[in-house]
Amino acid sequence: MLSGLALHRHFKESLAGDVMAITQPLQLLAPLSGVLLPLEQVPDPVFSSRVIGDGLCIDPTSQTLCAPLSGVVSNLQHSGHAVSITGEQGQQVLLHIGLDTVNLAGKGFTCLIEEGQQVTAGQPLIEFDADYLALHARSLLTLMLVVSGEAVTGLVGDSVLVETGQPVLRLDPGAAAAHTPEVAGPALFSEPLILGNPQGLHARPAALLAQAAKGFAANICLHRREDSANAKSLVSIMALQTVQGDALQVSAVGADAEQAIQALVALLASGCGETISAAASPEPRVVLDDALDPLWRGVCASPGSAFGQVLQVAEQRLQIREAATSPQQERESLERALAQAREALQLLRDSASGDAQQEIFRAHQELLDDPSLLEQADALIATGKSAAFAWNSAIEVTAELFKGLGSSLLAERAVDLADVGQRVLKLLLGVQEQALNLPDQAILIAEQLTPSQTASLDTTKVLGFVTVGGGATSHVAILARALGLPAICGLSPRVLSLANGTRVLLDADRGELHTDPDPQRVQQLQALRQQQRQRQQQDLAQAAHPAVTRDGHHLEVTANIASLAEAEQAMSLGGEGVGLLRSEFLYQDRSQAPSPEEQAETYRAIARALGPTRNLVVRTLDVGGDKPLAYVPMDREANPFLGLRGIRLCLERPELLREQLRAMLASAGEARLHIMLPMVSQLAELRQARQLLDEEVQALGLAQRPKLGIMIEVPSAALMADRFAPEVDFFSIGTNDLTQYTLAMDRDHPRLAGQADSFHPSVLRLIARTVQAAHAHGKWVGVCGALASEPLAVPLLLGLGVDELSVSVPLIPAIKARVRELDLSECQALAARIIDLEDAVQVRECLQQQQVAADSLVLEN
Amino acid sequence: MFEKLQRAFWKALTPDLIPDQPKAPTASASRLNAAMLQALGGSANIKSQQPLALTRLRLELHDPQLLDASALRVAGVPAVMPLAGGVVHLLLGLQG
Repeated sequence: MLSGLALHRHFKESLAGDVMAITQPLQLLAPLSGVLLPLEQVPDPVFSSRVIGDGLCIDPTSQTLCAPLSGVVSNLQHSGHAVSITGEQGQQVLLHIGLDTVNLAGKGFTCLIEEGQQVTAGQPLIEFDADYLALHARSLLTLMLVVSGEAVTGLVGDSVLVETGQPVLRLDPGAAAAHTPEVAGPALFSEPLILGNPQGLHARPAALLAQAAKGFAANICLHRREDSANAKSLVSIMALQTVQGDALQVSAVGADAEQAIQALVALLASGCGETISAAASPEPRVVLDDALDPLWRGVCASPGSAFGQVLQVAEQRLQIREAATSPQQERESLERALAQAREALQLLRDSASGDAQQEIFRAHQELLDDPSLLEQADALIATGKSAAFAWNSAIEVTAELFKGLGSSLLAERAVDLADVGQRVLKLLLGVQEQALNLPDQAILIAEQLTPSQTASLDTTKVLGFVTVGGGATSHVAILARALGLPAICGLSPRVLSLANGTRVLLDADRGELHTDPDPQRVQQLQALRQQQRQRQQQDLAQAAHPAVTRDGHHLEVTANIASLAEAEQAMSLGGEGVGLLRSEFLYQDRSQAPSPEEQAETYRAIARALGPTRNLVVRTLDVGGDKPLAYVPMDREANPFLGLRGIRLCLERPELLREQLRAMLASAGEARLHIMLPMVSQLAELRQARQLLDEEVQALGLAQRPKLGIMIEVPSAALMADRFAPEVDFFSIGTNDLTQYTLAMDRDHPRLAGQADSFHPSVLRLIARTVQAAHAHGKWVGVCGALASEPLAVPLLLGLGVDELSVSVPLIPAIKARVRELDLSECQALAARIIDLEDAVQVRECLQQQQVAADSLVLEN
Repeated sequence: MFEKLQRAFWKALTPDLIPDQPKAPTASASRLNAAMLQALGGSANIKSQQPLALTRLRLELHDPQLLDASALRVAGVPAVMPLAGGVVHLLLGLQG
């Protein structure tokens, strides 16, 4: 090992001559103790491919990263997870703690050194909390990579364990990449582009950019404002400490400068291997001349219809001063504003009209408590920015980050973030909340309606909502459904130019807004609403009557429930049993997992509420990667809807399933217990679960085993229903997932939601096939998806031969009443016709005509 | 942060799906053989275990004194990292 002094002398000598000429091997010391892992096995292609450089990987058992060589700290990432040391001969070594640790934004790391500081080999650089990292990051695997291009030789031999400070690599000088020759000529500059990478150009994207730049002879620089970096140097790019939203330019000098700029700009725009937010390259909005078109189309977010007048709701624009004089004062006023915002949210929570709103404001409070927002703002305040500017930037950057994560749910959460941000900002700027001045019969139109805007609404004056953004999980949708008001989402932004006071007809059932409604149509709809109200009262009065068609066929109408209270309510509304008990409810609102005894007691209580003559269908735990769950740790999946969900997850963790089965079995005898497996796609899954169940039944010494059935929600299960049928006691069709998987469309997708329609003939054919297969083996078929709760679908499902409809509790009376109006043989003829139609639109039209005919029939009677 | 948020909102939207507190998994004992269990002070000494960070098994022990690091190595655990509060990471390498 070379001493610091020897290196120092060496350095001086090398300065005298050509850097490359004087050579002496340099040893790198292990920066950590731990287990060595071959670089090619590192589960991150940028590291394993050696694009950044050769080196080694250590799975650490120590928590202090030490300098592998003496030199200068040439770059220290703000987030503390990566540091580069430049040795006295120009060797550059990158140390990168953990994988994807950039996302921790500095949490868990304590830097002991500063950028530009001289360090000696073995000196502690960064301390980290190994347990925090293990719990919050992808991995602790730590990389030491030589980025200046020298070849390396391992010194450790076969041993897999290393100790901090032990020599582990030798750098072979001379093999370093040749220095870029000086190139003369005019520099070409690219147009500025906005960086879309959520974490800026950290190691991974920076490595790909540098690699691409090295492919050109030209000298290439990356510029951000007055700073610039050699684009061929990973460390230099990282040292720019870019963040999302930075305006960057690429410049190049040399023969291939133009090609280089083109290639690098394209690479940057594509995200350098990362998914970047769409905001970086705004989609040009297609402007169609639909100003004269009195009909606007969107997606139904909450059913119903209303006739009223337009009120446009826009967010206030706030003036923000950028600079401030005293960081201390700014920090204090931010703290004050945050405290006030918390109080205001608590007030909103306490006075919220429904659970959904309460939960939303609780989530907003959690957002305010999140330290990373405050940290980001604090960092900006420290550089002399005002509290308002700093807070606004933190919110904007984080909101962009949400939008870029590729999840529609999280993208909608960006709205929440903006809402919380605006609340704090107004407090900081002393801007008074403007109460909306609502006219009577208002139909609110907005880009997005935030929870804060809707919380203070006088709901007696609002008749409906129309928004440009949003989907099935947006606040407007939740709120509107809770209030029973019609709402549509996803309209053209041009709807925002409709004048206040314009009379409009909102027909949410059809997803339409009419600006120049036909007075007759308005009257029709109003009469229809009146009629609907009357019907509801009538249905309720007759809820206890069985659901028997006019020609004497009985259809069982049961309830979808998730609590004992709902079970009781379902019985009082005429439910003939429970067709779907979502067992996930047991984990709701608890600080601890329920004990097996507690689970059993809950199932028993629900079973008792039903009584021994009614069916209780309990579905085993249906969670998975698409529903992020902390209590069943699982790997992040690229495609969670196609990953470990439902029964797949339960069979991976059979103990979880066994525990559930035991708890369910405790209620056998109290009601007619049926156990249902979700997401079954293969016979083997059914057989495996059947075996587990049989073992538990035997262990408990039960005389009779409960009925076992599967959900039909994957096309493979529907297509193989004839093979499943002999081995199950029943099927229950989950139309929501079956539709998504059959049409390959996400029901929450803002643009596809309207087409992901369970009325599509392909879905109906799968239902028909399932029913045929089940009946051939004497088994019954239920439908427990949303389709069963649609009055429009009742004649169709009846005609297809479905034996049971499990519906949401409040709809039990209406569905039962609908069955009583129908004639089975007519429904069968209707279903036979419908199954040959081309698309969901045709199916709905056909059913609507049928319904109109039926309605007039009822009126005549 | 995002996961926390996502959970918070799933809770708001579909409250039946998300529990407040993580539940210790009970079913993933597969990576510990009998010799390892013994070196950890027996299965009764294990309060919780959680595979994480690709290469690690995180254990919480009732009594960390009962841990025998050298016996663990003999039993095939490449490295052991004892931490504060009875927490121990077993470094088991990447899973196949």
